[in-house]
Amino acid sequence: MMSSLSPLDRRRQQTGLAFVTPTLLVISLILVYPILQSIVLSFGSSSIDGSEPYRFVGLKHYMTLAGDDRFWNSLWVTLTFTALSIPLELILGVGLAVLMNEHFRGKGLARLAVLFPWALPTALNTLMWRWMYNADYGLFNAVALQSGIVERPINWLGDETLAMMSMVIVSVWKTSSFMALIILAGLQSIPRELYEAGRMDGMSKWQEFREITLPLLRGPILVALIVRSMDALRTFELPFNLTDGGPVTATESLSLYAYKVIFDFIEFNYGASIVVVQFLVIFVMSLAYIFTLRNKD
Amino acid sequence: MNKRPRIGLYTLVALSVVISFLPIVWLILTSLKNTAGIYAWPPQYWPDPFTFDNYVKIVTESPELLLYVLNSFIVALGCTLLTLTIGGLAGYALSRIKMRWGAVLMVFILAVSMFPPVSLLPSLFQNFLKLGLLNTYSGLIIAHAGLFLPFTVWMLASYFRTLPPEIEEAARMDGMGLMRIFLTIVIPLSWPGFVATGLIVFIFSWNEFPLALVLMTQNAMRTAPVGISLYPGEYAFPWETISTATVIAIIPILVITAIFQKQIVGGLTAGAGK
Repeated sequence: MMSSLSPLDRRRQQTGLAFVTPTLLVISLILVYPILQSIVLSFGSSSIDGSEPYRFVGLKHYMTLAGDDRFWNSLWVTLTFTALSIPLELILGVGLAVLMNEHFRGKGLARLAVLFPWALPTALNTLMWRWMYNADYGLFNAVALQSGIVERPINWLGDETLAMMSMVIVSVWKTSSFMALIILAGLQSIPRELYEAGRMDGMSKWQEFREITLPLLRGPILVALIVRSMDALRTFELPFNLTDGGPVTATESLSLYAYKVIFDFIEFNYGASIVVVQFLVIFVMSLAYIFTLRNKD
Repeated sequence: MNKRPRIGLYTLVALSVVISFLPIVWLILTSLKNTAGIYAWPPQYWPDPFTFDNYVKIVTESPELLLYVLNSFIVALGCTLLTLTIGGLAGYALSRIKMRWGAVLMVFILAVSMFPPVSLLPSLFQNFLKLGLLNTYSGLIIAHAGLFLPFTVWMLASYFRTLPPEIEEAARMDGMGLMRIFLTIVIPLSWPGFVATGLIVFIFSWNEFPLALVLMTQNAMRTAPVGISLYPGEYAFPWETISTATVIAIIPILVITAIFQKQIVGGLTAGAGK
């Protein structure tokens, strides 16, 4: 195959390779090698600073993991959080996108307002919400108490169920806009003639939405859903800053538990086995993502 | 078009704008109250007295909070320049040169972009410790570049594909090398793509949390999201300082988003749609 290339083409190939090399080098060092190393670490015992030599221990950490209630809890928390927030984000995202596709005055400002929650650091967004949720001085309890809706302050972040709901709300607030933007781009690519034809047939607005808009939005919605699910499955700074995983471990995500095992409990190799499991869950999802995209083309 | 219920539309729009801005506005109002006002009952909805004391206090009493913002700037700017440079080259090669493994490489780059950052931590921490890269700007810049290069390559490659190839072919006929074509023809033609990609990478890097938390262990080297989150301890939060520091740390992002709204939205939707 190579022999059929002219010398000029071969030089182009070499230049191309040279252009790609720095990127591949950085990606290998920062993404690929660390994953492989995490896998090796998860089958062994060593120390974080390398002072203790690596010793192979086989499946020991994975056996421990299978019997670790806190690990299963964090997996459950992560899946619950994902399952609760994604549908809400999708509904709000579609709603916002349809809204933003209308013509009205002040559209620029409205678009900006929708973009802001996404553009700001999640860690700092979370602090803003934690301040509003604050049981003693927060905005929500101030309004609820003053208007007489409740008699005693609500402990938004101190109750297991409420804490999970509060976390979901922050996530939905932040990322519905991302969903909306992707879906909006899809909306704008739907040819106007389709709607004109629909109107000729006497379709109502709702029928138009259900029979023209939604089917044509399947692609963008799928992309948004998968990107967001993978994001939700690795959520870290949201529980880190909102509740530190509490009360007890009611909002401790997989990422947060792995972080605590590695850097708070200094169980370096055990932590590696947790991140390997998390990696596998997300990797399988990302493969599904790539295959769905391929089939779309 | 027949008359539709515009009031309903405007109510919904107003509601979404208010909900989007509420946490930010409440935070700004908090930063403009004095300490008594922040913890007052009945609650103060509007600062009384209205004061910039918290901002003055940050400058005079906790300048490390400003240092965090500076660190974020250095890291985000460095990461943006590095990713645009090497990601631009890679994106160009992958979009214009027929390489044997080109398509496989693009899928590979997309696949690795989905790795969860926390799964990189044990190894990255250990290697950075060994190499003396912990608590260095260059260390975090390279780490962030690794995270955001896949996005950059995909964005720029898809932008280069929209350029008409005739100009480059003519330049090749004239005997120009690929590097010269890239520098003198492709970059000037595709700067909107570079701007959109660069802005998004800058925001990504500014906002990144797990790697910034673990790879910068010294207080003086922390980035704004991490430094503010860890200030001063985990339990007793001085909200007057936190709110003010947070406002300062998000102003750059607010300004960038407001000015370059179109480019960012365009880039994001193109990136996610591909």
